[in-house]
Amino acid sequence: MGMKQRKTISDIVVNGVLLFLCLVWTLPTFGLLVSSFRYKDEVRRTGWWTAFSTQRESETPRFVLDNYLEVLMGRDFTYTSATGAEVRASGDDLSQAFLNSIAVTVPATVIPILIAAFAAYGFAWMDFPGRKVFFTIVVGLLVVPLQIALIPILRDYTLLQLNGTFLAIWLAHTGFGLPLATYLLYNYISNLPRDILESAFMDGASHFTTFIRLILPLSMPALASFAIFQFLWVWNDLLVALVFLGARPDVAVLTQRLQEMVGSRGQDWHLLTAGAFITMILPLTVFFSLQRYFVRGLLAGSVKG
Amino acid sequence: MKRWNIILAVVVAFAMLLTACGPREVDDGEQVVTVFGAFVDEDARRFRESMRPFEERTGISVEYEGSGDFETLILVRVEGANPPDLAAFPQPGLLGDFVKQGHVIDLNDWFDTGYLQQQYDQSWLDMAMMEGPDGEIMSGIWHRANVKSLVWYPIPEFYDAGYTIPETWDEMLALSDQMVADGNVPWCIGIESAGATGWVATDWMEDIMLRTQPVEKYDMWTTGELPFDSPEVKKAAEIMGEIWFNDDYVFGGVPSILTTPFGDAPTPMFDSPPNCFMHRQASFIPAFFPDNVEVGRDVDYFYLPPIDPAFGRPVLGAGDIYGVFNDRPEVREFAEYLTTGESTEFWVKAGGFVSPHNDAPLDWYPTDADRGYAEILQQATTFRFDGSDLMPGAVGAGSFWTGMVDFVSARGENIDSVMRSIDAAWPD
Repeated sequence: MGMKQRKTISDIVVNGVLLFLCLVWTLPTFGLLVSSFRYKDEVRRTGWWTAFSTQRESETPRFVLDNYLEVLMGRDFTYTSATGAEVRASGDDLSQAFLNSIAVTVPATVIPILIAAFAAYGFAWMDFPGRKVFFTIVVGLLVVPLQIALIPILRDYTLLQLNGTFLAIWLAHTGFGLPLATYLLYNYISNLPRDILESAFMDGASHFTTFIRLILPLSMPALASFAIFQFLWVWNDLLVALVFLGARPDVAVLTQRLQEMVGSRGQDWHLLTAGAFITMILPLTVFFSLQRYFVRGLLAGSVKG
Repeated sequence: MKRWNIILAVVVAFAMLLTACGPREVDDGEQVVTVFGAFVDEDARRFRESMRPFEERTGISVEYEGSGDFETLILVRVEGANPPDLAAFPQPGLLGDFVKQGHVIDLNDWFDTGYLQQQYDQSWLDMAMMEGPDGEIMSGIWHRANVKSLVWYPIPEFYDAGYTIPETWDEMLALSDQMVADGNVPWCIGIESAGATGWVATDWMEDIMLRTQPVEKYDMWTTGELPFDSPEVKKAAEIMGEIWFNDDYVFGGVPSILTTPFGDAPTPMFDSPPNCFMHRQASFIPAFFPDNVEVGRDVDYFYLPPIDPAFGRPVLGAGDIYGVFNDRPEVREFAEYLTTGESTEFWVKAGGFVSPHNDAPLDWYPTDADRGYAEILQQATTFRFDGSDLMPGAVGAGSFWTGMVDFVSARGENIDSVMRSIDAAWPD
């Protein structure tokens, strides 16, 4: 067997394995997508692959937009009013929840990044007593699970009357996100070339000017990649929002709306298929618009220069 | 300096956001009662509508908040010193935990017993009595009930085939045999429910316990005095097995019981011709029926018949009990409203709701089906709450469920070891 032939075989094996993994990975998502366009009763009765079969028993259309409309517009329901008349009321749509999610996520992404960037710069380039100790504490906080902090923080918020406000959840997410943010950004910022900073100091730049004019622009990849992490984490979060923000309709975020949509007994789970794809839109936009930084950012601090 | 402007703009925008979204300011004059519960979406809307007469009369606004994670969140909130004014518990057992810790207000201090007896049947009041740190207290207000002892059947096919509603358990078994002889499948059973798989079986067990034992034995069973590993409970499991473990009786055969989601289980009843003719499930199940199925036109139900005439017509049910955590004048006023039938009027008329209140007249119910639940409840010789919701979580939402799954997967041959393993999880 020649070298070339052997190489072809190994290529086939490698690509075959990759193809298999991709299939295993994407097939369920594809099934979800197909299900989201199917009629409610069919989602319950048969698997998504039967949507493509040529022999179908039912006369209903193969694909419908019902699920998406119901998720977006809210479900109509009828009831008999006290006077005996049939009243048709439309349910809550997603718009309020969407706005709430944005109101929670954007500040909860920006605040920790700002604070962490300042902190990372301080840890990396400023001399002050106890620098190592403080940094060790920050790294140590990485391993503290946020769940154990829920009840103590809730008690403090009760005293401060912060429960159920957006400020409460911003602060909570900031606190929970800061250790990782500081650590990631420290690794990146501390590896910036010393010469650039020294020449800035030589020209008389203060720490603040250096930070704003040099460090921030240079750290864009790391900032962007952490922004993606934090954004996705906060966007998908249900627990922290439920605890600190609550589920009142005027503050409920998307994940809570989705959970409610299933109904008190889960009877409307077929709506989750469409809901999942709708809630994905914004995170996907954020990811793709920031993704060119993402790969660079993942390597942040991994290679010592 | 362009960059500076951008940063300044961000900071200013941010400050504005902060001030805009600061703590909610409540008008000094406005009184708010907060209610937290497990029901969401459509049910939550109906609840809000039901509270409207109270809000209009008193000016007190009722703020309802519902979450599917109620069980966890209520724990976190009470621990975090941030309890709602009232919480609607679907499981009295969970409320019992808070009563034990002394978090719940004794309603006997607010209402006199005569008034409550006039509003509720005694069995509801008995079920609300729970052991607190300083003795027994009236722990909550019943508001929504649902009936579990129901068997659903497709019409007109059921009658077209010449079948009649069974009045006793033996008649029901004879009917099942007749269906098999006709080439039909009598039962649709499915107990899959993700992390809660098995609860359907626990409902059957409870219904059979109520029909084969005096009610005192049932109460002993739910409080742990009568172990699962006792002849009484084993007998109930065996009676259930006579139906469940007969491949001719169950659509899809016995193995399909474990893999069929409880919500999908009744669907074969609506195939044409029906793939099964009977399905035992609570009054909420129509929410899972296909869109074109209407209760009263395509499907109806009968009362799960008695086994031993000595124990009358027992009914198994469930409901929401509202525990009160904060004592303020407006909370008292609202609690009193909840004890009246008026607080259920809208919901009853909207359908799918059974009122436990004595002053909720039968003609409020919009359909015969809805009225039927209320009648079954009224005609009950005994009413008992879903036992697994009364047992401690480790059993009622743990080993009882998993034990039933093991029991079904072994077709009942491991009855002794299953019952022992359920008992073993009982907290000391």
